Amino acid sequence: MSQTPIKPEYKQPWRERLAPWFFVSPSLVLLLAIGLFPVIYTGYYSTFNWTMGFGTPSFAGFGNYVQALTSSDFGWSVLRTLILLAITLPIELVLGLVIAFALDSAHNVWLRRALQVCLVIPIAITPAVIGLLAQLMFNQQFGIINYLIGLIGIAPVDWLGGSVSAFATVVAVHIWEWTPFVALVLSASLSTVPTDIEEAVMLETDRWWPRFKSVILPYMWPGITAALVFQTAFTIKSFGMIYSIAQGGPGTSTMFAMLQIERTAFRGFNIGLASAESILMLIMSIVLARIYIRLFYTDKDD
Amino acid sequence: MTRDLVARIGHAVLILIVLVVILFPLYWMVAASFKSADQLFRVPPPWLWSPTVAGYVDALANSGILRALGNSALVVGCAVLLGLMVGAPAAYGIARYQFRGRKEVWFWYVTNWMLVPVVILLPFYMTAVKLHLINNPIVLILVYQVFVVPLIIWLLVDQFRSVPVALEEAAQLDGLNRFTIFLRIALPLVKPGIAVAAILSGIFAWNDLLYAFVLTPSDSARTAPTIAMAYLGGYSVPWTKVMASSTMICAPVIIGGIIVHKYIARGLTLGAVK
Amino acid sequence: MRKNHRRLAIAGTALLGLMFSGSSLAWNLKEAAQPYKGVTINVVGLERPSYKAAQALTPEFEKETGIHVNWTTFPYESTLKAETLNFVSQSGQYDVVLSDVVWPVTFVDAGWVVPMKHFTDNPKLADPALDLKDFFPVWLASFTVNDKLYGLPFDSYAGLLFYNKKMLADAGFDGPPKTWDELYNYDKKLTNKDKGVYGYVLQSAHNETQTADAFARFLWPWGGRFLDIGQKKVMVDSPDSVAGIQFRRKLVKLMPSGIVSDDHPQVIQMLIQKKAAMVTEWSSFYTTLKQSPIGDDIGVAVEPKGPKKAASAFGGFAYMVSAQIPEKKQNASYLFIQWLTSKEMAKPLIEKGAVVARRSADTDPSIQADNPYLKPMVATWEHSTVPDWRPQLQCYPQFSNIVSDWGSRIEQKRLPVKSSLHDMADALQKYMDSSDCWAHANQPEKYISKYESKSAQ
Repeated sequence: MSQTPIKPEYKQPWRERLAPWFFVSPSLVLLLAIGLFPVIYTGYYSTFNWTMGFGTPSFAGFGNYVQALTSSDFGWSVLRTLILLAITLPIELVLGLVIAFALDSAHNVWLRRALQVCLVIPIAITPAVIGLLAQLMFNQQFGIINYLIGLIGIAPVDWLGGSVSAFATVVAVHIWEWTPFVALVLSASLSTVPTDIEEAVMLETDRWWPRFKSVILPYMWPGITAALVFQTAFTIKSFGMIYSIAQGGPGTSTMFAMLQIERTAFRGFNIGLASAESILMLIMSIVLARIYIRLFYTDKDD
Repeated sequence: MTRDLVARIGHAVLILIVLVVILFPLYWMVAASFKSADQLFRVPPPWLWSPTVAGYVDALANSGILRALGNSALVVGCAVLLGLMVGAPAAYGIARYQFRGRKEVWFWYVTNWMLVPVVILLPFYMTAVKLHLINNPIVLILVYQVFVVPLIIWLLVDQFRSVPVALEEAAQLDGLNRFTIFLRIALPLVKPGIAVAAILSGIFAWNDLLYAFVLTPSDSARTAPTIAMAYLGGYSVPWTKVMASSTMICAPVIIGGIIVHKYIARGLTLGAVK
Repeated sequence: MRKNHRRLAIAGTALLGLMFSGSSLAWNLKEAAQPYKGVTINVVGLERPSYKAAQALTPEFEKETGIHVNWTTFPYESTLKAETLNFVSQSGQYDVVLSDVVWPVTFVDAGWVVPMKHFTDNPKLADPALDLKDFFPVWLASFTVNDKLYGLPFDSYAGLLFYNKKMLADAGFDGPPKTWDELYNYDKKLTNKDKGVYGYVLQSAHNETQTADAFARFLWPWGGRFLDIGQKKVMVDSPDSVAGIQFRRKLVKLMPSGIVSDDHPQVIQMLIQKKAAMVTEWSSFYTTLKQSPIGDDIGVAVEPKGPKKAASAFGGFAYMVSAQIPEKKQNASYLFIQWLTSKEMAKPLIEKGAVVARRSADTDPSIQADNPYLKPMVATWEHSTVPDWRPQLQCYPQFSNIVSDWGSRIEQKRLPVKSSLHDMADALQKYMDSSDCWAHANQPEKYISKYESKSAQ
């Protein structure tokens, strides 16, 4: 699986040493300009007391960070985001794996093909539209979901009106939206398992778990890690779907970090505080990404 | 023999359930776009009804959705093209060379992927204002690179790695330089990966709402998803029209996704960088 | 000799100018707009019926003046964000800006908008037929800050009681309830949860709707209020306020539990589906309801009175001129606003579904005959309106966030009303004190008399 580069780096002529940078630098320059530069700017804003349209900005040092870290609004919204992550990640990974194996099986060619086509659909629907659609489908009075569960004798649930049920609705919609994508990623990485090795092990044992653990899993780690990093980013960045379902309500029960920051920035116009909150979120997501990569990319296949 | 049959039936049932769960909301959206408000809220819902195209007529008549779809197509097309132009060489560089700082460079891409949009939204807006780029598609094309480029690189690194080195070494002996090798030999071999990278990054760019709302708000410059959201502020949500517009907004993306689906198994392998 | 000649010429032109500006016959839009031909102005609008009507009529203005009008429409919840970004970045994106009734103090204190006097004092721009007195006083007062008028009202609403005549009649009521206590009795009789039928439902979604509709509606009629600006004190936990919110709890118990997440469209839909008999909603909904399957059964009346006073929801917008754009554009913008809010345009606007605050049109019997909502709306604006239904604060957005969070929680979780309101008051007081909000508060009610005396002249 791992390819050796054409030549080791040492003792290369300078042209060869510069060659990788020739390939890499356009993207680096572009991302420094549009990624790093604004982040530095935001870091700068975060040290000011600045409410838009409300007097002139004044230097605040770390005041905004202290406020963000001690405010229960922001703290809760981050905690809610982490809870959402902790619930949806494992479910989506497991369901994604099940679907990936179903796609990998030799049965029912046409059904598998149909499924593969359809797995793209949920991510292709604009998240804000998914939220609108969920609002329609989960409505207590007119929603199709309550009608369907009514058919099997379950009393209508007040999906969007209760704190726990609204959170559960977001979880359910999140799983619908992202499991197929996870399945696609895992299915692709499952296809990297060389068939000859798989067949060889099949002769040794027909018990599924040892086969999965010792042969298939090592090939899938990069895919699983990628899915983890992707899903973490999607969950933290998620805005459109969550906003259009319930605008953070009822109360603040679906007020996730992105909604909270957006609200601080563009409804309360407290740019200093919102910038500090954004930087904290950025640090958190980088730390999470680092942890995943540390844990799972530990040179497993060298 | 019977055991095999049971496995096959179980497999079929599983796939059918997944299919129904995935497709039902899509069906509901399309169905809603052909229902009048009265039919839409009727309980129990009618499974057969006389369809109305009023939603589409309405949406096409006065919401500028065609122009918005055109704007979206332009922005997403250019963003993906630019992303591929800088992303594909970068992926090649990372796949083919072992160099100091390689890991850091790769992590820098991942970091951009993790970037929370509001972090860069405000500075980006302020800069765009200074450069008179508000309502100009260029500003969206640029800002989307934040997630388009990392995604493309991530997807393509593994693709380039699976290109046999021997092929390139042969070309090198023929006297081709590295860039020509990349362009003429490696790039054509990773076409499926490029198709998948283009479609996936295109989907995420197409679906953006947060940047588009702030950076290209005018009626003539706005992108398609902002149209669907615009009805939300109305005092009465015209659901038929919203669902009709939503269907039109999602259709191009879904079709694109379906076209490349057969490459996805080969193109979506996401590798590690060690 | 030559010098004298020139002087004479100058005097002559000045005299001519004076004659023209002095005579009302001489002013017309086409001539006034002559210097601004070819100018493009950018106008902010909302996705609501009034702006649809305005957009449909805009070509008339463009044809008459040669000024090009470029609309940008937003969902309500994004409008303030878009306009604030526009002003803070000085991008000059928008020339004709829209102000909700709670935003003027923000726009004025930050110096973002031009007082109307700047234009109305200019005879070349001011239409002698402008007739400010024809606007309802409460609407002019609402857009007056530091004794200066900053905008002309457009898209103006009153909260009204919409009800299903047939459902009320079937339950033995021969008219709409006049007080909230009466409404509660109607509600008890009409509500049948098993059948999914409700007497009264209240839009309560967790956003501006919670603050402006679900919370404020149960403060004022009970004698409660948000703030005492003179004392710098938050009043949401006063005994009157507590009584009102306690009454809301009584009503909410008769509503579907999902009501805390329902916004305007859902309650309107419940009324249309005959799942609700009464709602209190903005006047702008009349058109939607009239065109629905139950159009003929829809009744409309003034909102019920509370035990302490008659106070109905009050909300709406005005158009203002941005201070950050060149004078030429400002003048063209003013001409557009003046045209759009004029007496002359009021009738065609109403016919196309807009709601306006022009007395002459709103009380015109022939227009009233086609639009039954006008009578109760006018009655509301004249007798039971509270101009600071939501307080005019520069820091209103965050203020409203806090109200909405607590209001939604109290409505949903069945928290004890009194102590929760006390906690809400503490949170608001803390925010108001720490953010210097008290210094930037406007009290529009003190300007009403000024405009009333004007109209009495």
